[in-house]
Amino acid sequence: MTRTITYAQALNEAIAEEMERDERVFLMGEDVGAFGGIFGVSTGLFDRFGPKRVIDTPISETFIVGGGVGAAITGMRPIVELQFADFLYNAADEIISKMGKWRYMHGGLFTVPMVLRMPEGAIGGAGPEHSQCPEAMLLAASGLYIAIPSTPADAKGMLKSAIRNDNPVCFFEHKALYSMKGEVPDGDVTIPLGQADVKRSGNDVTVIAWGRMVHVALEAATLAEVDGISVEVVDPRGLRPLDTETILGSVRKTGRVLITHEAGKTGGASAEVAAIIAEEALADLEAPIRRVCGIDTPVPQSSHLEPFVTPTPAELHIAIKELVAM
Amino acid sequence: MSLNNELKMEIYHTMYRAQQWEAGLMRMMDEGLVSGFFHSGRGQEGTEVPAVLTLHRDDYLLYDHRGCAHMIAKGMDLVSLYGDFLGNNLGSTRGLGAGIVHIADPERGVLGQSGTLGGGHVMAAGVGLSIKLRETEQVVMNFFGDGASNRGTFHEGLNVAGAWKLPVVYIVQNNGWAISTPVSYATAGGSFAQRGAAYDMPGITVDGMDPFAVYEAVQTAVDRARAGEGPSLIEAKLVRFRGHFEGDPGKYRGETELAAGVKRDPILFARAHLIETGLQTDESLQILEAAINDEITQARDKAMTGEVPGRERLAEFLYA
Repeated sequence: MTRTITYAQALNEAIAEEMERDERVFLMGEDVGAFGGIFGVSTGLFDRFGPKRVIDTPISETFIVGGGVGAAITGMRPIVELQFADFLYNAADEIISKMGKWRYMHGGLFTVPMVLRMPEGAIGGAGPEHSQCPEAMLLAASGLYIAIPSTPADAKGMLKSAIRNDNPVCFFEHKALYSMKGEVPDGDVTIPLGQADVKRSGNDVTVIAWGRMVHVALEAATLAEVDGISVEVVDPRGLRPLDTETILGSVRKTGRVLITHEAGKTGGASAEVAAIIAEEALADLEAPIRRVCGIDTPVPQSSHLEPFVTPTPAELHIAIKELVAM
Repeated sequence: MSLNNELKMEIYHTMYRAQQWEAGLMRMMDEGLVSGFFHSGRGQEGTEVPAVLTLHRDDYLLYDHRGCAHMIAKGMDLVSLYGDFLGNNLGSTRGLGAGIVHIADPERGVLGQSGTLGGGHVMAAGVGLSIKLRETEQVVMNFFGDGASNRGTFHEGLNVAGAWKLPVVYIVQNNGWAISTPVSYATAGGSFAQRGAAYDMPGITVDGMDPFAVYEAVQTAVDRARAGEGPSLIEAKLVRFRGHFEGDPGKYRGETELAAGVKRDPILFARAHLIETGLQTDESLQILEAAINDEITQARDKAMTGEVPGRERLAEFLYA
């Protein structure tokens, strides 16, 4: 049985279920308590679980993350939240070198079972410092898992897994998806981290997309279908672990691949995926690897300019047609 | 525990043990067995040892790069400390953490170190939060220097610890120098203890070269934290006897400062005190010291039998 709920409700349910299941799990961040989080993700949790499980913090990102690490290495399982993913720079050392390296640096004597949740992405007018998709920044930070769910079902199943996982997980939630509705299975359903999902099967072109761009890719696939092009949309659902088996399997099947993300193209994670494809499946390609990503500017403060920086379904559709024509 | 004669003895012999352990490490460096990349704790034993002796076994310790006296006072095995510096499987991190600075012992609450100075301020607050959420009577102690006190994490950590009354004892070992940069230049107001008031916690200045004064001051702070009354900031003023790192000529500080500090060696001070008060004689102490020196030699010999990791262990413990 399934229910139709929003992505935000799915996250809310995941947190509540895991907090019910394990008393060591707690949520900490700015305005997550009685306010319910500025995007409403933690609505009702404070009333249900109280101030020792749902904790408001000062505006102190190094404490939100570094304090989370301190709690994680002394028996707790924190879910810490940065109010915007852009704030990861304010706690970069805490994320990359404390959360990500504490276990390794100390010879495996500790685990850091914490989840760092971050609302990401452009939603219209939030500006360059509240709209970023910074997942690529964490690619070089070995020790950290990177999870990026694109649907309510993925969000719930993956957040439950992330909370149960003994590794530190950076969990990116696109703000524009919070109100998106989708079917979520009943019961205690977890989705393993590092497992890609083929969101749409096809034979002619592989489109690899994550986060909000999964939905842009699905729209483009529908447009391409009218042209008789069968598009397969592969959602890696995260960057580490990266499900190279599913990605390469699809590429070998179609021979044509387009990688798309909302973040700017240069230094974006598409480059990493492209390099892996080039190393492992060059002989299977019928056309060069193609990337259609965000433009290399900050997300504009102007809401008039903002729509121009991220790929549209039409732009992906054009790229798909060009790939097939090669 | 109040500062009785038994405790004074324990403080003395633990400081002596820490000093001799480090001397043994220096010999290993001279022999080329251990990397010379080390930050000597000589002169700071008078703070690190008595402070840690106020803690229970399940209290937590976060520390920085200077010396190992705190870890020794927490009860860590000397063989494992040498093993860490040798980088072999007899080390506390079983060959994978370096001697600087990632020695750890979860059973004794030794949580490790942030290689970026000041990382510990916010981690300690998080440990304090963990204690409070779990409703235990544990305490967390965080050692750092004057330099690390000027990082933004100091503000975030102490602010939340004070606001939430977390059971943290913050100890700044103010030796006047952040490598070559003096406190007089780098620190507004020149005092760290005075910052305590800003964070709604006692800010105590103590003579870091007087181990008994340190013990009293820290015991008060630990009792306060354990009783749920909140954190404290203790500024121990002391002198670093050697350079910031081994090989640092230390020309930035005057000879008189160093000479004055060496005269106040906390280990010699405690030794003299024990003799003056009739608790020990020079002969009885020599017997004790000889036993400690034997222990050090045996620990070194045992540590030398360990094996360094092979390439196959490179990614061990990267992911759980």
